[in-house]
Amino acid sequence: MLIPSDELESFLRRCRDEPIGPYRKIHVPIKPGDGGASFSSLAPLRGDLRLALDGYRSVDPPKLLAYRVREGVAPFAGSSSPALLAGVKACDVKGFEVLDRALINGDFTDPAYASWRERTTILSFDCTDVGPTCHCTLTGGKPFAETGFDANAARFGQDYYLSAATEKGRALLELIGRHARVDAACTQMPPAAETRRAEMTARVQAQNEAFQRPKDYGRLRSSPPQAWQEEARECVGCGACTHICPTCYCLILNEEGRGGAFLKVRSYDSCQLHGYARVAAGVSPRPRVDDRFRHRYLCKLVIMKGEFGALGCTGCGRCTEACPGGIEFRSVVRRLMEMPSGERSAEAG
Amino acid sequence: MRPNPYEAVPAVITDTIDETPLIRTLRLKPDRPLPFRTGQFIELSLPGVGEAPFTPSSSHFITDIMDVTIMKAGFVTEHIHRAKPGDRVGLRGPFGSSYPLEEFEGRDLLLLGGGCGLAPLRSLFLTLLDEIGKYKSVTFYAGAKTPQDCPFKDAFAEWHKHPQVKLVRAVDAVPPGETWEEEVCLVTGLLKKLDVDPRETPAVVCGPPVMMKFGTRDLLRLGFREDRIYLSMEKKMYCGFGQCRHCMMGEYYVCKDGPVFTYARIKDEEGIWD
Repeated sequence: MLIPSDELESFLRRCRDEPIGPYRKIHVPIKPGDGGASFSSLAPLRGDLRLALDGYRSVDPPKLLAYRVREGVAPFAGSSSPALLAGVKACDVKGFEVLDRALINGDFTDPAYASWRERTTILSFDCTDVGPTCHCTLTGGKPFAETGFDANAARFGQDYYLSAATEKGRALLELIGRHARVDAACTQMPPAAETRRAEMTARVQAQNEAFQRPKDYGRLRSSPPQAWQEEARECVGCGACTHICPTCYCLILNEEGRGGAFLKVRSYDSCQLHGYARVAAGVSPRPRVDDRFRHRYLCKLVIMKGEFGALGCTGCGRCTEACPGGIEFRSVVRRLMEMPSGERSAEAG
Repeated sequence: MRPNPYEAVPAVITDTIDETPLIRTLRLKPDRPLPFRTGQFIELSLPGVGEAPFTPSSSHFITDIMDVTIMKAGFVTEHIHRAKPGDRVGLRGPFGSSYPLEEFEGRDLLLLGGGCGLAPLRSLFLTLLDEIGKYKSVTFYAGAKTPQDCPFKDAFAEWHKHPQVKLVRAVDAVPPGETWEEEVCLVTGLLKKLDVDPRETPAVVCGPPVMMKFGTRDLLRLGFREDRIYLSMEKKMYCGFGQCRHCMMGEYYVCKDGPVFTYARIKDEEGIWD
């Protein structure tokens, strides 16, 4: 269906204010402050906030909502209130697809993440702008979601073309149809929206022209140790890159019960921190910064690919944005992929 | 609704046994049994303190009571050492792979362990004893730094009596004032006296990383097969099911692909002895 952009925004606000529909919590990207910023961040929808449904992905990844920085997981009561997350971009939808495989699978299900996913409807939006570090096209993505969303809004001109991919998404579109001024007769993506998508894809590709790379990153395993040491020179091991990554989910499980009762609280951890893999007597398999730096690149580009069938990098570029050392993920990968193989491959021989 | 994997089963401490100045065994009675296979591990937590992974040290044929032998090595284990009979702990698990007993049937077996690595081997050994008729013989080489660092002191005397069992203990050194009538050498030094066919004998190795490394090297030199050397690996295992990612060793998770690995399977991974 088609909906004018101001009509969709007003529908979202009415979902909260009146309220229309079942969504007790609605999160959207907003423009901070006076709205002059070029970036957006995620926030619970409020009347006085400026929405940033278009543009490129928010500064903070939506995994922060689904898999919280710190939350009690046992005992876990959870909430059953339906929620709506609107305005996420394709890179973050892909992030959820990776997290789904990691956190809801045959081995186990994380109760808090599964509960959030089950009750939350995801309304993704096509990108209408490119951030300075955006590089989804290098990781097999596009600036619009093709899978993984419940419903999607493709912007063209002053309108959105809305489509649904799941029951939750169809329920949302049905609600929109009942409460907003829409053209329900339009059931095919208009050519203008397709053109817009192609233009956006070309813009991301143009921005990343210099970083073209092959799809198989296996050779990173054999990049010489000195090259990793060189690349890690500005790394302070703070873990910002992992905390802000839409697919990182490493955790610490703490026991914080009182009065003899058990309470398990999980918090984010980072493979970039020194104590991460340390065992009894202080022994660590990755004692140096460059060991840990290398581990992250391999995890994102090689290990997760093997585990989940998808790269652990969705090309959102947040790690580069967050790095106090100014380390440019794309450049590091390019340089290392161009390196001749080093000693490690000879060892593994 | 699927069971919550973070939920612990409460267990009461029924007894504590001081094995060495640093190693203590807790005897636990869980509110409901946690059947495990020898070699698998559990996560043991103290309310409000923390949680850490341990391999039970009792036979897997006993399900109502579980022994866990713990070395004081950090914050959580120090608190566990302070726990008293009647205190309650939480158990999650069991997790990971176990020793493949069916592969051991009809064969001579070698158990090579040192220090707190003797805890999983005690579980294996007791499990083997429960069905000793299935195995040809069990050679158990147990090492410790000094005589007072030897765990399971009383039990060793009992185990010695079994006809199919060859039990040899070694200490690295005997400090002045202590007495010792058994071997004085590194536990790997005992391998010189081994009188089983290395090509046909599965070897199970558990101990500090350096002992595992040199133990494996010596076994290979003697002619043991890479796919019959079973290693109980130690990494930091927070969750037990491959979510926290701390225990990654190359492409494997020690918690769910291990902790028991054959040397053949992991020999090319990085940092296995770290």
